[in-house]
Amino acid sequence: MEVRASIETADPPQLGPGMPDLAPAFSITRWEAGRRAIYAADENAPGGRPFLDTVEVELARPSRDQAIDLDVGKADLIEIPASEARRQPAGRRTWVSQPVRVLLLLFGARVDDPRAREALALAVDRTAIFNVLLQRQGEISGALLPQWLSGYAFAFNAASDSARARGLAASLPAPARSFSIGVEDSALRPIAERIALNARDAGLAVTLSPQAGAADVRLLEVRITAADPAHALAAIAATLGLPVPPRADSPDALYNAEHGLLDGFRVVPLFHLADVYGVAARVRGGPGISPLGEWRLENVWLEGGRP
Amino acid sequence: MTFRTRLLVVFTLAVVASVGMVELLVTRATREAFERVERQHADALVAQFQREFDRRGQEVVRAVKDIALSDAAVSVAISADNSAYYNEASGMARAHGLGLLELVGGDGAIVSSAEWPVRFGYVEDWLAAPSGWKPGTAFLRREELPDGFTLALVAVEAVNAGGRQLYVAGGQQLDQDFLATLVLPAGMRVLLYRNLEPQFAPHLLAGSADVAADAQEFQPLIEQVIHERRPRVATLGSGAAAETVHAQPLTGVEDNLLAVLLIASSRRELVELENSLGRTGAWVAAGAILTGMLMAAWATARVTRPVRRLAESAGQVAAGNWNTTVEVTSRDEVGQLAQAFNRMTHELVEQRQRLLQTERVAAWRELARRLAHELKNPLFPLQITVENMQRARESHPQEFDEVFREGSRTLLAELANLKQIIARFSDFAKMPAPEMQPVNLNALVGETMKLFEAQFAQARVTARAELAPDLPTVSADPEQITRALRNLVLNAIDAMPEGGTLTVRTMPQGSGARLEISDSGKGLSQEECERLFTPYYTTKTHGTGLGLAIVQSVVSDHHGRISVESQPGKGATFRIDLG
Repeated sequence: MEVRASIETADPPQLGPGMPDLAPAFSITRWEAGRRAIYAADENAPGGRPFLDTVEVELARPSRDQAIDLDVGKADLIEIPASEARRQPAGRRTWVSQPVRVLLLLFGARVDDPRAREALALAVDRTAIFNVLLQRQGEISGALLPQWLSGYAFAFNAASDSARARGLAASLPAPARSFSIGVEDSALRPIAERIALNARDAGLAVTLSPQAGAADVRLLEVRITAADPAHALAAIAATLGLPVPPRADSPDALYNAEHGLLDGFRVVPLFHLADVYGVAARVRGGPGISPLGEWRLENVWLEGGRP
Repeated sequence: MTFRTRLLVVFTLAVVASVGMVELLVTRATREAFERVERQHADALVAQFQREFDRRGQEVVRAVKDIALSDAAVSVAISADNSAYYNEASGMARAHGLGLLELVGGDGAIVSSAEWPVRFGYVEDWLAAPSGWKPGTAFLRREELPDGFTLALVAVEAVNAGGRQLYVAGGQQLDQDFLATLVLPAGMRVLLYRNLEPQFAPHLLAGSADVAADAQEFQPLIEQVIHERRPRVATLGSGAAAETVHAQPLTGVEDNLLAVLLIASSRRELVELENSLGRTGAWVAAGAILTGMLMAAWATARVTRPVRRLAESAGQVAAGNWNTTVEVTSRDEVGQLAQAFNRMTHELVEQRQRLLQTERVAAWRELARRLAHELKNPLFPLQITVENMQRARESHPQEFDEVFREGSRTLLAELANLKQIIARFSDFAKMPAPEMQPVNLNALVGETMKLFEAQFAQARVTARAELAPDLPTVSADPEQITRALRNLVLNAIDAMPEGGTLTVRTMPQGSGARLEISDSGKGLSQEECERLFTPYYTTKTHGTGLGLAIVQSVVSDHHGRISVESQPGKGATFRIDLG
């Protein structure tokens, strides 16, 4: 089975975000940094030997090329960006996870005026981005944890308020009205540009920074790594460098913990996005991903392959 | 300055003026021709720009129309949810070679924008406005891009399908790429100032290669064109770096001034041509002036040579050489002048000879008359005395001895008188040559005045001496000068029979000295003054008329000058200048 993915991974290969984790059914046999990874079926896998002999993952492949590879049979599984999810040919099979990626704005220490952060948070027109750039994939959200995981995400405000945003921006000194926004994933760049456009309408001067790490604000995608909301929230906080909230034993405590993280607009959640994969017709079994988007290829086989 | 020098200067100035005039005319004609050609180039460039503008406009109109007629556009138009098409414009623009393309819904909201994809949903009011655009035509428009405003050549078409409307607005940026397509003659460049900001901004001035580095130089001209909204021409810079700039305003569909087209023509070629003309002109002028001066020198020498000879001859005539003649070398005015001069000197010589002869005869007559007069006076007493002696001898013999003694005394006295008269004439005839030595005239005057003191008293004449203490010594014969001075003093005493004042003055005169003898007598008439120094001429009833003639002779022998100044009733002043 050949998988196309646009994920960039570290070298040498290691498990974690961005690196396909096919263990324990498969073990990695070949690694070409940033280009390709080949996995072989583990004969001694705990659940028994998987159906597939090998899984070849091609990395850093553009979405358009991935789609072509799938059409011409060179790939059996491809990543589909959210903006392309609705453009898939009729009859194409997809595997869709729960919304497990949080798209958010993370302000750096330089933007120390909460009015500036709130102005940008209120200026962002999430609906337009959701409708057009995300093609209505995922969910609009003002919360870190998705609705399916916490059950209270709707309680966080996600509506834009351009009038209040303009008022807040007008109250800022001129230097505080200007900041840069960085985006690490080029697929997210249109969203960053639209945010900058919304910000300009509110009276803020937001420019895209070529160096995401040095920007005043970063547009990030943080993955939900646990099905337990408290664990997931703690993991997100740790990833974003925020104070890890104490263990919440109740939904109220969890809500308060999350609210505490979002106070001050240091972090502004925007959307929750699902993983979407296009699947070739000869792929049988599955689904090959978990609700959290993890690959589960041990239960997948290919039509016409070895029994 | 001599006549020849003046002629040379005049000729040289005439040559310099002529050469300068030719140089000026050539330079002016060259400049006018260059500027005429430059204007033609500028007009051609403006026309070329307009043609290119129209051609690009037609291309834009065609591309927009093609997009509007495409199935893709119709699909966007009829789609109930056109959010899926937000990226559609980019592909369409690329496919049709447009730099700018927006698909805009009937409500004016942007469905897709090629130049600014994330601007979807924003409203373009101008598309819904009746005067915002005209179908089938391209026009200039100020367009906003993510990095600022730009100027674009835009066309719009409307798509009506399924009861829905879609505007297709596409265009090309009017930037340096557009300018680079213009074919420019050597030495010319074209720039475009995009009037996109309220104030002049240098970065909005684009050349065919890059943003104009010398944008600030164009600022006054651009601001003037924007203010007056009409073409202007100006020369910017100086020297070889100067440019003639034709500025043309470019307006949009609503007659708003969106850009200024600047066609700059370098004046380097003109300046170099003028410099070359100047250098060549300078060499030619120098050659012409040199040649002109040589020719003028030759011509003036040729023209002035007879004049100079004539002047030299006139000088010789003035010096007393009356027999001087000049060579007649031509028949022109100068030749005629030379002939007239020769005739004049010939006449002068003849008249002089006639005059001398006349004067000689007159002198002899005067001498004879004076001799007769002088001799007759003593002869008459002689005759009377002899006759008295004869009568006494015949009639009164007893008284003869007494008469004889008396008559003898009288005869001797008159004979002595005759001898004195003859001695005076003899002295005048025998005037010796002066023996020159340094002489102090003040001393001579003092001695003479002292000598005449008795006579002054007898004649009731008051004598005064006004002597200059710083009088220089003169080279003279003291005996002759004293004699002349005595004659003048005697002459003055005679002029004042009723007494009066005699004044003798000395004073420096140049490097020499002046001696003046003034009396307060009855004075002389003008005719008397003129004849005063003529030998044997006298206004007195006694005397030989040789006194002043002797004075003049002495002064003349000393190379001096004597003159008299007098008016009737106001005395007379004799003035002697000695070197």
